[in-house]
Amino acid sequence: MDTIGKRKDTDSHRPPGAPPELIERLRSIVGAENVLSAAAELAVYECDAYTIEKSPPQIVVLPGSTEETALAVKACAEHRMTIIPRGAGTSLSGGVLAVAGGVMITLTRMNRIVSLDPRNRRALVEPGCVNAWITRAAAEHGLFYAPDPSSQMACTIGGNVATNSGGPHTLKYGVTTNHVLGFEMVLPDGAIVWLGCTPEGGEEVDGYDLRGAVIGSEGMFGIVTRVLVRLTAAPREFRTMLGIFESVEDASRTVGRIIAEGIVPAALEMMDGLITSAVEARYNFGFPLDAGAILIIELDGMAEGLERQRERVVEICRSCGAREVRSAADREEREAIWKCRKRAFGAAGKLSPNFMTHDGVVPRSMLPEIMRFIEETGERFGLRIPNVFHAGDGNIHPLVLYDERDPDQVRRAIAAGHAILERCIELGGSVTGEHGIGVEKIDFMERQFTADTLSAMRDLRAAFDPEGRCNPHKVFPGSFRCADWLPKKQIAS
Amino acid sequence: MKIIPADIDDLGRLLREATGRRAPVSEVDLSGLGGTVRHTPEDMTAVVGAGISLSDLQGRLGRSGQWLPVDPPAPERLTVGALIADDVNGPRRYGFGTIREHLIGLAVVLGDGRIVKAGGNVVKNVAGYDLCRLFVGSRGTLGIVVEAAFKLRPLPEAETIIAARYDDLDDTLALLDRIFEARLDPVVLDLHDLVGADSEGRYTVTVGFAGIMEDVAAQTERARRLAAFEPASLDYDGIMRDPGSGRKITARSVLPSKLGEELRALGDLPFVARAGNGILYVEGPAPFPASVNNRALTELTERIKAAYDPGGILPRIEL
Repeated sequence: MDTIGKRKDTDSHRPPGAPPELIERLRSIVGAENVLSAAAELAVYECDAYTIEKSPPQIVVLPGSTEETALAVKACAEHRMTIIPRGAGTSLSGGVLAVAGGVMITLTRMNRIVSLDPRNRRALVEPGCVNAWITRAAAEHGLFYAPDPSSQMACTIGGNVATNSGGPHTLKYGVTTNHVLGFEMVLPDGAIVWLGCTPEGGEEVDGYDLRGAVIGSEGMFGIVTRVLVRLTAAPREFRTMLGIFESVEDASRTVGRIIAEGIVPAALEMMDGLITSAVEARYNFGFPLDAGAILIIELDGMAEGLERQRERVVEICRSCGAREVRSAADREEREAIWKCRKRAFGAAGKLSPNFMTHDGVVPRSMLPEIMRFIEETGERFGLRIPNVFHAGDGNIHPLVLYDERDPDQVRRAIAAGHAILERCIELGGSVTGEHGIGVEKIDFMERQFTADTLSAMRDLRAAFDPEGRCNPHKVFPGSFRCADWLPKKQIAS
Repeated sequence: MKIIPADIDDLGRLLREATGRRAPVSEVDLSGLGGTVRHTPEDMTAVVGAGISLSDLQGRLGRSGQWLPVDPPAPERLTVGALIADDVNGPRRYGFGTIREHLIGLAVVLGDGRIVKAGGNVVKNVAGYDLCRLFVGSRGTLGIVVEAAFKLRPLPEAETIIAARYDDLDDTLALLDRIFEARLDPVVLDLHDLVGADSEGRYTVTVGFAGIMEDVAAQTERARRLAAFEPASLDYDGIMRDPGSGRKITARSVLPSKLGEELRALGDLPFVARAGNGILYVEGPAPFPASVNNRALTELTERIKAAYDPGGILPRIEL
């Protein structure tokens, strides 16, 4: 963030519509160095990790406290400006895209761990606190923060609350909503509320579970300013295995068999042959280059009994046709496996100049079916689609490879992705398990939900944000689209 | 007005009409909607009609070696709909959490008759807002739950429940501290006194372990090094909290580390405490102040209630 410490006097480059009085007011609230309004500075905030659409905000504000956030929000409310809360900007669905400009409220300065209470297994953190920092701080007490999205070294807790983030270990431990006890939030009118369990209070809370309603609301209900998270006893032992299979089909069947046997691994991840070779080319872990699919299976818990479970998992893998099952020998090897898995998206750059990722979900029993469909879809559209995903959750991550310099490939890539998501809905699943709807998947909402259900969602939003000013143009069909409005830089090029 | 819908569409129509007439609904009989259970063991999920009793549901799931990991008192008299609306739970809450953690989908008819299908039948799903959680513990004030989908768990291979008894509260609390420090991983960590002053061993600390056989045996052994634990049961929870007992029970929730202070202030009243969670069940009217409120929060709650039950035909929400 050091590049934004210096404010340049660039009022002449300010995009139209940013009221000078508002800029002045915001400067007086958070300090001039924490208000950005020059085009060059705003360009940094023109997109998140979903880079197909870009649109800069008119102003970026970096508050340093709850009070500053509330005052800034109130000032925006008085000027009828839209507000867009933003953390590290790792959203893969355009969740923090400033579709029609507005004031981006960036929480990265508020990044402290306020307190850590091992006896009550809680930590109080600011929204800009990076996910992985909590586990790092809790480790000495034998505790950890369970949700571990692949972007955990960068993504922030505020963003995790907005998107109800998951990660490879959600199979056993659950997602963000299962680990966030409560939070302080600035409503779009500037009022400050505490939802859910308070730092000094018990876990039972009177009234509606508004904490649950806000988690996963994609930043459309307000701005989270402090978060109370649950810490979990860290497992003492791990057994991390690599099951090497000739085909995705065999690996998919293995997933269902393990679950049906009553074994709940901490993680159960699949990498197909194509992504495995890319990962191997990048990280030289020693993955076989001729395998059809690899399952990463991790068991965790106390030491006792884990070895017997490991043996049972090895047997199941073999009976489903595994060529080989390797076990991580020590902590270093386990960490190397997870490093490869979590950086697999990055390695996809070895395969293609561009890729689009989707994160549909199907019931686990439909995994063989959806994997077959993805393969056929790749053939049908003449595109390569490697897969690296949370198999144990039925949460697919096909990476549709394309070259943005070829408009026809871009069109085919979009169509292939849509076909896969349609199929997820048909199989009784969802179009997104982790990444959210954002601007990317708006068109699927009407396919997945009934009109009554969508209207109940709109009502809930209106209760929090009657004027619809907080992170607008997301999630709902009929939203104003920046693609309709701005030249599509990439697609057009 | 009592309503007996034939199916979910009928319930939608009846509630829409009641809203039109501003006619309060006192009771909804869901027996016409059946107690269907669609259980897919390899998905570890089930879609369940709200009218089925929890004990019937557990029986069905148990045949495939799975369960819905909640254990409220009197499950034979508790429907799945009431389980969600009243958010009831039992001693194993420490290890498995409450029903909110296991709910993945809901079919619910709002007060105004809209039929909402929230979430789905997959274990991970972030499409749209999470409407499911809003109905957990909402006491039927927003809508009537007709069907629910749950994440399940395998039945544990083994479970051990053990208890140690003390005359003195300080000794009891010291044991709880030792259990925390030993970094055990119990699924039950309770403390109760149902016998009162002058009884020998009036305070009972109950600990439960569940999971892989060898793990349960090893943890039980480690716990036994901390105190004179004996095999025990969880019957005390039903004795205290069974709604059929006629007792008026109130719950108080505090930081687990503050439980000792609460218990000292309690005097000789009988109680059951979820020591791991910091929850205290006591007989009698609430002796404690209601939770602190805030005007913005009250207005937020009222706006949600007004949007989903505009006719005010469902129970009022107490603020």
